[in-house]
Amino acid sequence: MNWTDVLAFARGPLFQVALLVFIAGMAYRLVRVIFLGWQVDKVPARGSKVGGAAISFLKGILIWPFVPWVKNTFKKNPVIYLAGGLFHLGLFVVLVLGTAHMLVWKSLLGFGWKTLPLPIVDWMAAVTIVAMITLFINRLINPVLKLITGPAEWANLAIVFVPMVTGYMMTHHLWFRYEALFSLHMLAVDVLLIWIPLSRISHFMFYFFSKAIHGADFGKRAVEP
Amino acid sequence: MPEKTIYEEMKQKGVTRRDFLKFCGAIVGALGLTRLPTISADGAAYKGAKGFQPAQLVAQALSTKQRVPVIWLELQDCAGCSEALTRSQSPTLGNLVLSQITVEYHETLSAAAGFQVEEAKQAAMQKYAGQYVLVVEGSISPIDDGVYCTIGGRSSLDILKEAAAGAAAIIATGNCAAFGGLPKAKPNPTGAVGVWDLITDKPVINIPGCPAIPEVFTGVLAHFLVFGTLPALDSLHRPVAFYGNTVHDRCLRRPFYEAGKFAESFDDEGARQGWCLYKLGCKGPTTYNACASMKWCGGLSFPVQSGHPCLGCSEPDFWDGGGFYQGQSAPLDKPTVLAAGAALAGGAVVGVGAAALNHAQKKSHKQEPKAKE
Ligand code: HEM
Ligand code: SF4
Repeated sequence: MNWTDVLAFARGPLFQVALLVFIAGMAYRLVRVIFLGWQVDKVPARGSKVGGAAISFLKGILIWPFVPWVKNTFKKNPVIYLAGGLFHLGLFVVLVLGTAHMLVWKSLLGFGWKTLPLPIVDWMAAVTIVAMITLFINRLINPVLKLITGPAEWANLAIVFVPMVTGYMMTHHLWFRYEALFSLHMLAVDVLLIWIPLSRISHFMFYFFSKAIHGADFGKRAVEP
Repeated sequence: MPEKTIYEEMKQKGVTRRDFLKFCGAIVGALGLTRLPTISADGAAYKGAKGFQPAQLVAQALSTKQRVPVIWLELQDCAGCSEALTRSQSPTLGNLVLSQITVEYHETLSAAAGFQVEEAKQAAMQKYAGQYVLVVEGSISPIDDGVYCTIGGRSSLDILKEAAAGAAAIIATGNCAAFGGLPKAKPNPTGAVGVWDLITDKPVINIPGCPAIPEVFTGVLAHFLVFGTLPALDSLHRPVAFYGNTVHDRCLRRPFYEAGKFAESFDDEGARQGWCLYKLGCKGPTTYNACASMKWCGGLSFPVQSGHPCLGCSEPDFWDGGGFYQGQSAPLDKPTVLAAGAALAGGAVVGVGAAALNHAQKKSHKQEPKAKE
């Protein structure tokens, strides 16, 4: 067993299994969540469901996250706002606009797109790592967060952190051989794929659904979401 | 009469002292001797650390040592490594080293054929028992009694075992002999394996590549010739001097990789500008070989320089390492649309089932009289 074998396994059969677990797990979670929240609502509609969902999407995804003063998101907790925001931005840049990752999407979806120059992606990766460390420390010292942080929250941070750091180390050829880091990167990614449906990281998908469902409810009652 | 030393042999062939010293210098280069070897020519720990003159060391060794006999087997191979070696563009070095090793038996190069040459091989193996270097080109097929590769009615495994028994060291040249190579590509119908999978009681040096870089081969032989020992090897038994860096580490297109400038196809502007070939499937980042530094054809070029992505031919199982033109980060196995659909449907069905069960449970709870609230 050498690194080449580990890499072939982590990029091959294990990745395939992890992806299938991810798909099945997310489908299961999604169905469960939808049925949990489903209530027969006999109140006659006073507004448009689709319109409500659209407004909710617009506000929840495109406006509020980027306008800190509207809901005082910044003032309430500047660390979480900044570090959390940069983390999500970095994640998007690295996973969608990085060349290596675009090639993964391309192989899965059948089409690719233009990517950003490596130095930009690289800096975003560094920012993401710093942001994650900040969020970690914040959980350690913030009195309220401390109370609501359990093993699952630490696991979430760690399981996203490992692929981040191994990817960064790999790009910079730090300390270990490239194929060793590539193997660790892929093993970490496989673990992440399996972990996502089991954990609250699944919010990356549910967030959009909950925005839509709440928006539709609000819209039906002609209330501003 | 004792056998002549290498220097004496060369003198007899008309090589001048000056040419001999030049040759020693060339060998030093080929060996990548920038540091003192741990072992001197006579096998004892080398002491003269001050004022180390590598060329002198080589000259000393060659004027005291005898030639190294070589037996060269070809098994499941294409003879490409032999081709590359005999057409190597550094004739002085290559030919001299080769003439200083006595190739006692070589399947393709020998003029004779049939029983005659088999007899010569047996004679050489007896005469030089325990001294000769065995070079193996091509993979071995040990399954089904070896019927997939036989020479003179004997299986490749038989031939290898017999020749390995009397060898001082074994050099597996090319990816096939080292790691199984093309014959081992999925589904590996002949059960092909490399030499080191079968021979564990002799030192095996792997010089993988498709073909092996001729100068690397001569360098390793020269090392054996000069020091009587094997060069330092990595975990895959490859000489570190030549396999210590990846192609990517030494690639002339590397600045473009760093700058994120990639050729998107073989004939776009990026390709013309010499940009990085990562998106066209380059395996340089995980491929350890000397192509980018030693290059091919006498230092003229190497695949990536000529515009073709690295295939990774010095790594185990490179034939099954994803498409040659598929980016290195792309997964090797991915679920089929059917499997993904099945997973999606399966997850959803289980989800609906669980929801229905829950619902039923809730209903039956509601019908029960409430205990307390
Ligand atoms: C199938 C999934 C993935 C594959 C095949 C993959 C592969 C790669 C490769 C080949 C590199 C480039 C290294 C280089 O430039 O030499 C890389 C970099 C990186 N990866 Fe991944 N990766 C995957 C998923 C992920 C995930 C899920 C994360 C984060 C949670 C991640 C984070 C990173 C980071 C931070 C870098 C460094 C980017 C930079 O510094 O420029 N990767 N990955
Ligand atoms: S062409 Fe290949 S080896 Fe050269 S820099 Fe690009 S990826 Fe690395």
